[in-house]
Amino acid sequence: MVKLDDIKKECKSILEEGKVKYIVGYKRNNNYYMSIPAFIEKIEETDQLIWDPTCVYNLVRFLRDEKLRKERQKTPDTRPIGVIVKGCDSRAINVLLQEKFIKRENVYIIGVACEKSGVIEKKKLRKKFNEKNIKQIEFGKDNNFIITTEKGKTTISAEEILAERCIECNNNTPVIYDVLLGEKVERSLSEHFRSLEKFESISTEEKWNFWKKELDKCIRCYACRSVCPMCYCDECIADSISLAVKPDTTAEEKAQKIRWVEKSPVSSENFSYHLIRALHLAGRCIDCGECERVCPVDIPLRYLNKKMEKEASEQFGYTAGLDPEKPALVSDFKDDDPQDFII
Amino acid sequence: MQMILSKMNFSSWLKKLNSYRIFAPVKSGEVWSYELVEKPENIILDYPNTIIPPKKVLFPQREVLLEFESSSEQEIKLKEVIPEETPSVIFGIRSCDASGLAKLEKIFKGGFEDLYFSKRKNQTILVGLACNIPPSPDCFCTSVGGSPYSKDGLDILMTDMGDEYYVESVTEEGEKLIESAIGLFNDPEENVKKELEKIHLESEKKIKRYIKDIDKISSKLPEIFETEFWDKESLSCILCGICTYSCPVCHCFDINDEVICTFPLKGKRVRTWDNCQFPDFTMHSSGHNPRPDKASRLRQRIMHKFNYFNENCMELLCTGCGRCISKCPVGIDIVEVLEKVRVYEK
Ligand code: SF4
Ligand code: SF4
Ligand code: SF4
Repeated sequence: MVKLDDIKKECKSILEEGKVKYIVGYKRNNNYYMSIPAFIEKIEETDQLIWDPTCVYNLVRFLRDEKLRKERQKTPDTRPIGVIVKGCDSRAINVLLQEKFIKRENVYIIGVACEKSGVIEKKKLRKKFNEKNIKQIEFGKDNNFIITTEKGKTTISAEEILAERCIECNNNTPVIYDVLLGEKVERSLSEHFRSLEKFESISTEEKWNFWKKELDKCIRCYACRSVCPMCYCDECIADSISLAVKPDTTAEEKAQKIRWVEKSPVSSENFSYHLIRALHLAGRCIDCGECERVCPVDIPLRYLNKKMEKEASEQFGYTAGLDPEKPALVSDFKDDDPQDFII
Repeated sequence: MQMILSKMNFSSWLKKLNSYRIFAPVKSGEVWSYELVEKPENIILDYPNTIIPPKKVLFPQREVLLEFESSSEQEIKLKEVIPEETPSVIFGIRSCDASGLAKLEKIFKGGFEDLYFSKRKNQTILVGLACNIPPSPDCFCTSVGGSPYSKDGLDILMTDMGDEYYVESVTEEGEKLIESAIGLFNDPEENVKKELEKIHLESEKKIKRYIKDIDKISSKLPEIFETEFWDKESLSCILCGICTYSCPVCHCFDINDEVICTFPLKGKRVRTWDNCQFPDFTMHSSGHNPRPDKASRLRQRIMHKFNYFNENCMELLCTGCGRCISKCPVGIDIVEVLEKVRVYEK
């Protein structure tokens, strides 16, 4: 298991050397057992850092904010920012590099291997514990989790509360990093598409009813989009001004803009939003599960993204975020690409 | 009017109210929300806070304001769509949410009357349930002028007394609702009244979160408007719509024309919830946005709730329901932010 002290030591040393502007990591939420993102600028602040099964966030998301901030500053500090990444998160960096959204020198990657463990899923946890009573969740010695409540400590096997995506993960070790903490160990807890395949086995009609019911719940808070490291577009079809308006955008252009999705949370618009988002993530989603985690009304968004991932893998032998040098799925073709869908 | 209703008689009371549409908390999966209930006898009043507050009943996320249609280039026909609401009752509403609706009333029925809201509000009776145990560890109603048994905005307040409810009418409408089934109610005995007082006082003590010196914070906010404070506090915000959509008093809206057919032109003018955290909120047509970043958006949310509204209406635009704390996907905590404002030194 990765030792928190090793993470702190690494963070202290890069801050001391002035290698990074600040580090994005995890710290404890003062009133709750969960972690929250930590933005560490000073050496003494590294003591706030934590590493435990509640470190669910994909912090790569914050590279976009840094980029925007730099664009607005007149004389920006051009040093990279440090970011702590798990295996899945590291693949998001690769996607951003492939798409040339960030440069390699913009980020100092502190990779942390999940080894045989991973992070928790709140929904699973809630079934076993009253969340209000939980004080802390830690990694145990034998790849299990130790949960502290008012009544004391309970040990629970990782699989029982491990996030579904962790169970299905093939990249428990970061694939890109400046420094790697923890061991590279092989593991595949389960089939990579196990929950999707279970879902795929139901009939088309059942699927339709399922999605109608689920997507009708959507309140279009766009948390799923906002939390996604890959949803970085200036112009998003979901916004009512779906046009990156600049001072030199002409009135004509503004008048001609097409509104792809209305703001109304009704079936047709909710379907449009989610299908467009899923398609825009084909070959890009790295299954960090953040969209599903943040959804306030528990819509199982991972199915949509997993489906795209499976198509990319089966049709084109492509897995997102493994190699920053390789062209992205949708910007490349091979002569023997399948064409049977072309009529 | 103060009455006792045995829990066994609760569903009989609801059945008597069959001329009303009844809204109550309903659970689907893990998510609770206020929905129109077909079988009132199935209502469960032991529930945590709903994700979306009951504002959605009176101020729905999508509202058609008018319909337009043109048969020729010269002529456009407009049809106003004002809601024809049947009398409704919201059952089991929490004190914080009821006071939220009272605040919305000040906004939508204040200087200018919003017919869409007020038509519904005028026909809706609010039956509250005191929180003997705070439904969320993030509740802080007592810090913002509320209490777990506040009657603000309610027509009736019910308190769970074990086998029975203590039912108190606050308004005439509430009284009528009780009278319509008076046979089911009993007069409370003196010791029960004492017991009620005790339950209420105890419930207040169970609230864990507290904002110190709220008045000072409120007047200090403008002083720190132009500081780095907001940059630091908003670092982890992802700019989603959760805190505002789930807030019982956030009420910003957007108006769009939804065109069904371009020739002949036909469509609807629709009002939908909007919120200050979205990138296109207050975007000018030039592309300039006076609130261009996370810092200015968080600042707007806090300033509006704890300063601007306070100056205009002499009260806070927050009921202490704690939803924005519990639901924020990155743990931004409004009570903590306010505490940091309190101790902030430039
Ligand atoms: S997070 Fe959930 S409710 Fe919000 S827009 Fe996404 S799917 Fe809809
Ligand atoms: S404060 Fe939290 S809930 Fe509100 S916009 Fe930011 S991330 Fe979303
Ligand atoms: S600001 Fe937060 S705590 Fe206050 S009423 Fe709104 S959601 Fe509730």
